[in-house]
Amino acid sequence: MGNKQTIFTAEQLDTYQDCTFFTRKEILRLFHRYRDLAPQLVPDDYTNKPDVTIPYELIGSMPELKDNPFRQRIAEVFSEDGEGNMTLDDFLDMFSVLSEMAPRDLKAYYAFKIYDFNNDDYICKSDLEKTLNKLTRNELTPEEVCLVCDKVIDEADVDNDGKLSLEDFQHMIVRAPDFLSTFHIRI
Amino acid sequence: MYTVEGDMDDGYVHPLGTGAVWQRSEFNDMNHASNGESLRQRGYNARETISGPREAQYQNWMDDLSQDENKPIKEFICPMKTKREIRKKQERMLAKKTGWDSWKEEKRRSFRKFRGKTSESLKYVEVWRSSLQNIEGHFGTGIQSYFHYLRFLVLMNFVTFLLVGGFIVIPSIVFNELKLDDTSGTTTTTDSAASNISQCLGYNPNPKGLVLYYTFIMDVLMGTGFMELTYMFYGYYKNTSVNLVGFFYNVPLAYLVTTLIYFLLSLVWMVIRSVKGFKQSLVKEDSAMTNYTNKVFGEWDFCMKDPKIIKLKKSSILYELKMDLEEEEMRRIHAQRTMAQRAGIYILRIVLNFIVYSLIGAAFYCIYLATSKSQEWLKEEKVKGDFILELLVGYMPSIVITAANFILPMIFNILIGFEKYTLIWQIRHTLFRCIFLRLVSLGMLLFSLWNNITCGGNIDEANCITCGYNSDIYKCWETRIGQEMYKLMIFDFLTVLVVILLVDFPRKMLIDHCSCKPIQLWGQQEFLVPQGVLDIIYGQTVCWIGTFFCPLLPLLNTVKYTIIFYMKRLTLFSNCRPALRTFRSSSANFFFLLVLLLGLALSWVPVLYSVFVIKPSVGCGPFRGQKTIWQTIPTTVLTFPKAAEEFFGFIGSQAFVIPLFILSCTLMFYLMALSSSYGKLVNTLKDHLQMERSRTILLNQIH
Repeated sequence: MGNKQTIFTAEQLDTYQDCTFFTRKEILRLFHRYRDLAPQLVPDDYTNKPDVTIPYELIGSMPELKDNPFRQRIAEVFSEDGEGNMTLDDFLDMFSVLSEMAPRDLKAYYAFKIYDFNNDDYICKSDLEKTLNKLTRNELTPEEVCLVCDKVIDEADVDNDGKLSLEDFQHMIVRAPDFLSTFHIRI
Repeated sequence: MYTVEGDMDDGYVHPLGTGAVWQRSEFNDMNHASNGESLRQRGYNARETISGPREAQYQNWMDDLSQDENKPIKEFICPMKTKREIRKKQERMLAKKTGWDSWKEEKRRSFRKFRGKTSESLKYVEVWRSSLQNIEGHFGTGIQSYFHYLRFLVLMNFVTFLLVGGFIVIPSIVFNELKLDDTSGTTTTTDSAASNISQCLGYNPNPKGLVLYYTFIMDVLMGTGFMELTYMFYGYYKNTSVNLVGFFYNVPLAYLVTTLIYFLLSLVWMVIRSVKGFKQSLVKEDSAMTNYTNKVFGEWDFCMKDPKIIKLKKSSILYELKMDLEEEEMRRIHAQRTMAQRAGIYILRIVLNFIVYSLIGAAFYCIYLATSKSQEWLKEEKVKGDFILELLVGYMPSIVITAANFILPMIFNILIGFEKYTLIWQIRHTLFRCIFLRLVSLGMLLFSLWNNITCGGNIDEANCITCGYNSDIYKCWETRIGQEMYKLMIFDFLTVLVVILLVDFPRKMLIDHCSCKPIQLWGQQEFLVPQGVLDIIYGQTVCWIGTFFCPLLPLLNTVKYTIIFYMKRLTLFSNCRPALRTFRSSSANFFFLLVLLLGLALSWVPVLYSVFVIKPSVGCGPFRGQKTIWQTIPTTVLTFPKAAEEFFGFIGSQAFVIPLFILSCTLMFYLMALSSSYGKLVNTLKDHLQMERSRTILLNQIH
């Protein structure tokens, strides 16, 4: 149980343990996954807090994200620069939110941000259309897409403004019990 | 860059994020869309558009939150940098606290860490964890739930076996080896004429006359012959009661009490598991109201890694959405139907229901006949000489049950198409019919056995009058029931293996190597979760019924389910594709636990009936010579000290039971009233919320 690793200081590891849902072992394992994406960019020693960012292309090539239709949005939402280039903090944050133990409110907030393609803090009809097309390989006819979007807004829009705000989304998530188990990436 | 406002609520973040009153610092641009500002930061910037009352509302929430120090930092919605700052502030505040507070805080922290560590180490104890994760990664949570159930049942069977083994089997073996037989029951009966004893006692399962070459295998497969004289079946256990210095062990008492304990344990375990699922289904409301949102936002499984499976998932979502839209269409048409058309449909439904239930009734009758005849035919000479024939006749009840459970659901699936229900109701009806068929066919088999054993409940009939049960056919009727359950379990296991080996694998090979149209259209085997879960529930019900009569059955069941786990996993990865219609595990979780509870309740009926009503066999078993199996308990209570005896007497009497029953009913009604009032409160609050929001929207528009 001793501190045999030299990647982080004890203080850093404690901070990570408090700030994410991962245990010490998992944090170290995640660090190695992060490093494996770009071994020449990421130093082996984080004790002096280097400022290293891995570009989106490498993040998007991870097996867990490679075929996920929302991978770009996920990377954008969790990255500091908004473009998908992630530091280690962003990386840990992302998988922490997407882990099993994250509570529903936390996941709902980030899911909302992911599905909000145009970043206007509302999921409007065009966002829904993009989501649907990503989910169904563009094989629904435009009328069908329109119908389904209308239905979704009907069901979830509580304040009747024609688009989903964060409160609408969170209210809807409470009634969708599958969400907790599907909005989850295992790493 | 942004700073935290105020020094009082030091760094506590509003969990909702939006509208949080963050102070924007040096940058004076009012827009959100400045470069380099991440999306998360944008979400936190102050909103000029928030109206007065709402801002005050959020300020109140933030004040409240600052009092909530128990919320761990990891649950705050903010980037890692902010969390670090919050943590630093928390540490500083902790240092400022007085001795008592800081000690409390420290204890709380270390407890949290300890809890984290124990849950981590518990994960290592979890069996098959990596398998389940692998399946989840490839096929999604729906199919993983099947293997989750299987693992749960393996665990439950193993625990039952430990109980039964530890308290019944091992003591019996030990006492047998040490020859500590205090056989206080073999010669005394508390009942009538001594002249009848010889007829009731003559229990000798060893084969008389010619021993054929296949007898060993036949005995193993049918549970007869030498098997009856092993610890496998009830008949071999003796009513030993060991009374050494300081050590007292009464095998019959242990047998009975252990049975009650493992039934109660299974019940409690399942109720605890289903409470979680029940809470979710209470919150869920009517799924018709959240159908589309669930499909769009809750359906995509982020866990999937395999590109083939992802493609299939997209097809399945596409299929479901199309189905739903079609159903909308159908519902609209249905609402526009005329009276005549509606009447026509109802008549059609009544006719089809009649057909379905008469088919089920016919199946039940076949099962009843098969069970009765199988016993008769086994005695005939031409059957005894032929291995295959004897096997077939012996397994006839199992074969008929399995055939019925295989053919009838297919017919149900075809017929339900004509009844013009919506898809959800189609699934529900079919599921209900399948469950009814499965559980009640078991009931029919037991009914047929009961009929034979107790001469139709008529103790005074010729065959039953001497011993209290039909001693002509059944010298040891408990073992007979145990044998039937044993055969059912073996046949079920063989069926699963045969289907996997002789249907799934060849089908896959055909599809891979033969590219003709009809075979490709037939397609790969679908992994159907509901049918699989019903299968294992059925197997578990058989095990529960049989454990009293065949104490080693839980062990066999554990082994059986373990092998099935590995075989199903193998066939899943090699041969199957996920079903087109997604199995929604969360909503079905509770439902299948409910069906399992139903199976448990069903299994209590024969066991409790045997314990309380039927006279135990005179020639075998640990309860020989008693009037009923239950009699052990009153006799034991009589040996207790006076106070304990009176206490138990009081508990068993009506003076206690009836008030207890009335109290339980009152409590139940109170809880039901409470829950319905909460439901009303929730609805009122929802309306209130909606009104509030409309009001703020209106106010915004006015400004």
